[in-house]
Amino acid sequence: MKLKVKTCHFNYILGLLITSLVLLMVLIGFFYTPYDPNEMNVALKNNPPTLAHLLGTDNFGRDILSRVMKGAGTTYIIAVVVVIIGGTLGTIVGTLTGYFGGWFDEVVMRLNDVLTSFPSILLALVFVSVFGPGTYNIIIALGIIFVPSYARVVRSEFIVLKERDFVKNAKLMGAGSFRIMFIHILPNTRRVLIPALLIGFNNAVLAEAGLSYLSLGVQPPQASLGRMLSEAQSYMIDSPWYAIAPGLMIILTILGFSLISGGMENE
Amino acid sequence: MNKNEILLSIEDLSIGFSKGGKMNTVLDHISLEVKKGEILGIVGESGSGKTMTALAVMGLLPESAKILSGGIDFLGNELLTMGEKEHRRLRGKEISMVFQENMSSFNPLLTIGAQVEEMLRLHSKYTKEEYKALTIKALREVGLSKPHEIYHQYPHQLSGGMRQRAMIAMAMVAGPKLVIADEPTTALDPTIQSKILQLLKKMNDKYGMSIILISHDLRVIQSICSRTIVMKDGRIVESGMTNELFTNPCNQYTKELVAAVPMLNKEYKNTYKVDRDSHPILTIQNLNVFYSEKAIGLLGKKSRKQVIRDISILVNEGETLGIVGESGSGKSTLAKAIVGLNKEIEGVIKINDFTAISNDGSVSKPQMVFQDPYGSLNPSKKIGWILEEPLKLQSNLGKKERVARVNEMIEQVGMTTKYLERYPFQLSGGQRQRVAIAVALIVNPKLVILDEPVSSLDTTIQAQILEMLKELQRKYKLTYVFISHDLNVIYQICNRVCVINQGEIVEMKEA
Repeated sequence: MKLKVKTCHFNYILGLLITSLVLLMVLIGFFYTPYDPNEMNVALKNNPPTLAHLLGTDNFGRDILSRVMKGAGTTYIIAVVVVIIGGTLGTIVGTLTGYFGGWFDEVVMRLNDVLTSFPSILLALVFVSVFGPGTYNIIIALGIIFVPSYARVVRSEFIVLKERDFVKNAKLMGAGSFRIMFIHILPNTRRVLIPALLIGFNNAVLAEAGLSYLSLGVQPPQASLGRMLSEAQSYMIDSPWYAIAPGLMIILTILGFSLISGGMENE
Repeated sequence: MNKNEILLSIEDLSIGFSKGGKMNTVLDHISLEVKKGEILGIVGESGSGKTMTALAVMGLLPESAKILSGGIDFLGNELLTMGEKEHRRLRGKEISMVFQENMSSFNPLLTIGAQVEEMLRLHSKYTKEEYKALTIKALREVGLSKPHEIYHQYPHQLSGGMRQRAMIAMAMVAGPKLVIADEPTTALDPTIQSKILQLLKKMNDKYGMSIILISHDLRVIQSICSRTIVMKDGRIVESGMTNELFTNPCNQYTKELVAAVPMLNKEYKNTYKVDRDSHPILTIQNLNVFYSEKAIGLLGKKSRKQVIRDISILVNEGETLGIVGESGSGKSTLAKAIVGLNKEIEGVIKINDFTAISNDGSVSKPQMVFQDPYGSLNPSKKIGWILEEPLKLQSNLGKKERVARVNEMIEQVGMTTKYLERYPFQLSGGQRQRVAIAVALIVNPKLVILDEPVSSLDTTIQAQILEMLKELQRKYKLTYVFISHDLNVIYQICNRVCVINQGEIVEMKEA
């Protein structure tokens, strides 16, 4: 048991370390990149890593480190907005259904079931094929697709919490339904909601990468992690560094956030 | 003392947990002996190390626990250095345990029979029929009237008392020499409590096994234990024959404990006099309360269950009305109906609360104090916020006045303003209940409903809280409706008592 506590702690710290490293890189990327990420240079086509270009160059001679920094930033912004949209709507839906219950809950949760029963990437594909590819469209598509997972988490917490005596106490004081829901009960769901948001961020990063890989998300020449992977595909054998850099970035992002959220749940 | 008479001896045992590099000692040089066939009581407040002692004997200490000194000898075997395999052989066969929470100690997916039988299977070899026969014999022995039926039932189908009997059957079935009962009756109603204790005593007489009875309740210890050990903060503060210990306590702490036991004694009675010609503050006429069972499926029909039948009560201003009954009698339902948390009611509930006009002229509603102070305080808010919330909702005081009122109230319930910055989980049970009472009183109500406000607290804390309630009543001229299953507590604080059974008033008289 003691050992378990220790490894938990270790994982949590490792996660924080990885995440802060990755985030630092991305933050710097917003203000400064070693080269212009979109500047082409035919002379430097598919160069392996050198001191001048730490992660090598791609098929247009663009600096991969600069593109990873910028591209990860794009991916993160998309993921954050997706989590904000999905998390906010999901929390509201979960709060209302969990607190009121009854036929309202019944109807909304069946709609939720319908949305969950399709693989999320398939739904995103359908959405994008109707409204066309592009950054904004995949943000909206993914945001809506993420609603059910948060609604479910928040709803199940509310069902338990609304029976607690402190809620009855609040009713006795004369607090209205909305005050009870959002001021009294909602803060108590953070124990499960925050890890869920972190995991959601991970899923959004993966979904963006997937959609951009299929050329449905971020459009060239703008860089994103998925976009870069897709472009690197043809050069896998000759210039593996091109694919490794964005791939590693995705792995580190996911790993860092998973370790943190795992550590939080175990607290 | 003859050496052969001793079954278990603990010598100089110290156990600690290391927390952040510091050693937190939970047992501090404990030495005790259990003789063959005796019932030894261990009494103390929560956190005194009672349960830790039991776990050490059972070899079930958490892995993070460190043994700092001493040893435990059981019939010549050293339990602390014994391997897990040998220990497992002793557990159940030689030493067994009865837990407090019988619902969580049984596996909900297995029948009672299977679980009692499991104990036998692990420690003996019989045929299938013999196992069943022995199990049923054990179930009959502990006073379960239909052992054949119970054998096939699941834990949730039995009442708390029956489950505790089944648990005792499980502990006894392999014929152990020592049974450790950790708060075996705490979760039960008082009438069932005494039956379970008598059962333990009977088993002790019949089979001569030794029993270690652990409880925070002196009355439980007093009723069957021959010898008693008093623990506090991981130390044994006093030990001796039960009668001597309680009639003539030497240690200061033991004296406090004994004094806190609510005896049916005149000096503990509520001396607050009710005004002869006071007006009724709460009138309940022919009240029926229902509870609708959850509809099955989307279109299922809702069914209604009647919990309160035709109750009429009159509560006069300034008095304390006690409502007594066993669990399931409808006490809490009645309380919720009075404060308006239960909407499915027929009949009249009238509250003449005209005198309860707070500073700003608004009329305040009756307030309620719940049993579990942890559940009734929002775990994610600070105490200061929790106390201010009713003022925000029910008064139009400004921010400054609200803070002043909060500061005043927290001192009224015997705490200091430094607690306002803390969260509920940082307070002890007694402190939490003080805060819960402050939350109820902060809006100047005239009528307060108290639903088992002291049942989850230690005896010494109980006495303090009751004393405080009486003081506050005198000061603010409050009217209490006090709900409890504990007659002693009721006797200490109430002027009139109303006994409820199955949703009906069966008796009503002066305390």
